Amino acid sequence: MTNLKILFTVVATLAVFTFVANVIPQVQSAVPREIVLSADMPPEELAAIGEEIYAGAGGCTACHGLGTRAPDLLGVVGGVCATRVPGQSCKDYLWESLINPTAYIVEGFDPIMIDQSIVSSQAELWTLVAFLESQGGEITVNADDFAAALAADDAAAAAPPPVAVTDPSQLDGMAIIEAQQCLACHAIGGVGGQVAPPFEDLRGQDPAFIRESIVDPNATINPDYQAFAGTMSPALAQMMSPAELDALVEFLATGGVGSGAGAEAPGDAAEVPPDSAGGSR
Amino acid sequence: MKRRMTRGVVTRGVLLAALALAVALPLLAQAPGPDYGEFNFLGLDRRGAVWIAAQLHLLFAAFVLGVPMFAVVIEAIGMFGGDEKYDKLAKEFTRLLLVAYSATAIWGAILVFFLSTLYPRFWAYLTAIFAPSMWVYAGLFFLESFTLYLYYYGWDAWKKGAAKKVHWCLGIMLNIWGTIVMFIANGWLTYMMSPPEGLTADTAPQTVQLWSAINNATWMPINIHRLLANVVFGGAIVGAYAAYRFLTSRTDEERAHYDWMGYTGNLIAIGALIVLPFAGYWLGREIYEFSQQMGITMMGGFMSWLWIIQAFLIGILFLAGNYYLWIGMGRIPGAERFQPYIKWMLLVLVLGVIVWATPNTMIADRDEIAAMGGIRHPFLQVLGVMSAKNTAVNLMILTTFLSFLMYRRANKDPVVPWARAGTMLQGAAFALCAVVVVFYGVYGYFVTAIVRIGFSVYQVLAVLATILFVIGIDMAMLRGAKSRGEIRWGRMPDRSQYALLILAVTFTWLMGLMGFARSGIRQHWHVYEVIRDTSEQAFTPALGPAATIISICVLIFFGLVGVIFWLGGLAERSVYQEAEAEAKGAEGHAALGEPMPSPALGDVD
Ligand code: HEC
Ligand code: HEC
Ligand code: HEM
Repeated sequence: MTNLKILFTVVATLAVFTFVANVIPQVQSAVPREIVLSADMPPEELAAIGEEIYAGAGGCTACHGLGTRAPDLLGVVGGVCATRVPGQSCKDYLWESLINPTAYIVEGFDPIMIDQSIVSSQAELWTLVAFLESQGGEITVNADDFAAALAADDAAAAAPPPVAVTDPSQLDGMAIIEAQQCLACHAIGGVGGQVAPPFEDLRGQDPAFIRESIVDPNATINPDYQAFAGTMSPALAQMMSPAELDALVEFLATGGVGSGAGAEAPGDAAEVPPDSAGGSR
Repeated sequence: MKRRMTRGVVTRGVLLAALALAVALPLLAQAPGPDYGEFNFLGLDRRGAVWIAAQLHLLFAAFVLGVPMFAVVIEAIGMFGGDEKYDKLAKEFTRLLLVAYSATAIWGAILVFFLSTLYPRFWAYLTAIFAPSMWVYAGLFFLESFTLYLYYYGWDAWKKGAAKKVHWCLGIMLNIWGTIVMFIANGWLTYMMSPPEGLTADTAPQTVQLWSAINNATWMPINIHRLLANVVFGGAIVGAYAAYRFLTSRTDEERAHYDWMGYTGNLIAIGALIVLPFAGYWLGREIYEFSQQMGITMMGGFMSWLWIIQAFLIGILFLAGNYYLWIGMGRIPGAERFQPYIKWMLLVLVLGVIVWATPNTMIADRDEIAAMGGIRHPFLQVLGVMSAKNTAVNLMILTTFLSFLMYRRANKDPVVPWARAGTMLQGAAFALCAVVVVFYGVYGYFVTAIVRIGFSVYQVLAVLATILFVIGIDMAMLRGAKSRGEIRWGRMPDRSQYALLILAVTFTWLMGLMGFARSGIRQHWHVYEVIRDTSEQAFTPALGPAATIISICVLIFFGLVGVIFWLGGLAERSVYQEAEAEAKGAEGHAALGEPMPSPALGDVD
């Protein structure tokens, strides 16, 4: 009898744990498929790859599909894309939405989407366009678009890497902020987005905290900006070199004083290239 | 006779393990054809097989490493304090080791067998790097088992004077061998997680420097974290053993002994548990430093829900631990005074667990946000932020400490003239601390994130300072205190023992879960960013399926541990032989299917 009770206690405890672990959202980590893109892929295949990027590495679902932060795309965008800007084809509009999202702003939404060419290659972006077109419309992305994108990616990959600056004090924090499009969401000096804490708030804060907030934006969520938590992409930090990250953190923590050349001259030093922007990852 | 049986199992296990190692090492260093072997047993695939074998090996290993640490300490207490009962207890702990040791060896052998046949190519890769350390490992394993025999079987022969000291040194050596063995194995597994810089998929394993492979970024943090976790685990399992023996014992004397043993095991477990988070943060930081990507995967990526489950488990540990203490007050004369407070303490704990396990800051990953259909939740939003969580956990620690304090105070009446004032001072310290913690918790909602992080430091400092201050007063105040009566060991309702069992199961499961975390953050790599896992099982399962495997492991573990406890019981019955014989006669032994052991056997054994 006692032995049975003991057995029951053990099994019941395990059952509770197993149950709890099974009712929470189940997220599996798939093996990232090496996406091999080639110009002669049929459109459906492009769209299928685009769908994978959309739901995965592209990070689009952080904003799209929740209904509040960004317009719903699935099933609709292929139907409305051709009507957004008079004279612009669906394909061109979608392409522009990705690389220059603020050119046309869907009514009722904030311009918080950043230029996706920072995190994805051109060929990947074309697969996204193909996928989006398939959501309510016809796929018109063709082999020429795609071949051109692949060639551009290859050229970018072959280009000599930007001279690596390893001394953070040689880098300009403001230029990095602009290149990384932080101002889509954050504001500095009253300029920029309103959906994230203004950078002035960071002045005097612990650099370690600022660094963490950039590398892992969701580690701590600023409660005043709960509504937009999750929108900041961790990919941004990965696009920066360690020295750039150091310079950026220093710039934000000191409010611009500590950073090197041209700290107070926004725009002047914009030649700091994001480390591997546009390269296929 | 029992002794021979126990030893037989042990020897077999060790021999088996040695055999497997001896066969596996040379045989497999010569990379055979296929990358992966086939395995399918009742739907269990090759990864499942290795997973279960590794987890069980690890659980037994953790037990045989954790227990000697406190066995030696308790032996020393007995030796220097001159109290026989501690010496007996230490010996009883050690007895559990004998059979657990052979289980460790057997599961180790199974693991090697699975690894070498199911992952032949990768196994060949590892042996190419680590072979020398594998030989040292096997050698030390033998040395360790030999020391264990001497330690256990020499217990009664070397009982007095200098011989006792020598015996105690054997115990220390046992710990040293065990620690080295674990450190070596940790080298292999941390290598997979954080290989030294500059390796690529094409690096020939023979060219990898052994020491740089072992001494990698996460090696020391994992060594320390495991060392502590093993003590916690050992304490918890010993507690479960005592609970089992308590529940099945027949005499009051036996019950008293196991009640005390369970209490001690629990104290050890909870005590070591309190330090564990610090080691955990160090480990976490090193992981971040090694690879931010890996750190993000661990804390913010697809695993962030794992930490909510961890919070849930730790909540259960807190609740069960306190519950055990509260029931325990029933056996202390004078504890009735404190009963009315318990319901309030329970309330604090339950609220604390709820707040702590409330997801919000944790929902991090885009996939999860999509899975939850949005990030905003009107109620969770308020509870889930960091301020609330920190406040909750600090209040829970404070409450647990209060439980211990009441427990300590229960049967004592202080005699110092300032007793009343002292108690009021203690109460004031508690109140002040709670006010500080809550104040910063609430204030945290009105400041920026970084200021809030600073607040959590104030909260922890307040709690630590209070604990030290209150303990200081307590020690001074209870000096020469009047006793209301001895603790009536053994006068414990059964449900308290079930709490101990739940504690042990929860610890074990937690260990399995964290092992999954460690292994899962490598994702689809055998060696992180060096050797890809190209098998069908390269994906990392979601928590649900992982939990199912963990539960299977824990179930097998407790099944085997049940057998071990039972064997331990057989070998030892005779300590309470006389009393038992009177109470139950031969019928008890007949039920066990064993002839009556001679009364003296257990003591010599
Ligand atoms: C940080 C949030 C965010 C992320 C991440 C994001 N978007 Fe957007 N997106 C928006 C918002 C807000 C709008 C509407 C405002 C605008 O037009 O810029 C929008 C608009 C669009 C539009 C135009 C929709 C229309 O109806 O005209 C397209 C197409 C689009 N996004 C595609 C994508 C794709 C593909 C991704 C992933 C690679 C992505 N977005 C990632 C926020 C985001
Ligand atoms: C798509 C919008 C978006 C972009 C682009 C963005 N952020 Fe953010 N960021 C947020 C939001 C929303 C928060 C507040 C929620 C949180 O704490 O995660 C935030 C928070 C932060 C914080 C923490 C501030 C605090 O008080 O908690 C830092 C630091 C930060 N961002 C830096 C940056 C930098 C640097 C960049 C450019 C590389 C950047 N962000 C780009 C949306 C964005
Ligand atoms: C209350 C706090 C904690 C408890 C009770 C706890 C408990 C445990 C236990 C029991 C193990 C298994 C040890 C073993 O297998 O030998 C473990 C392993 C682990 N813990 Fe913790 N831990 C805590 C805090 C943390 C923290 C804060 C982190 C990291 C941020 C962490 C990361 C890990 C990892 C990665 C492992 C796997 C290592 C391994 O397999 O040995 N832990 N933990």
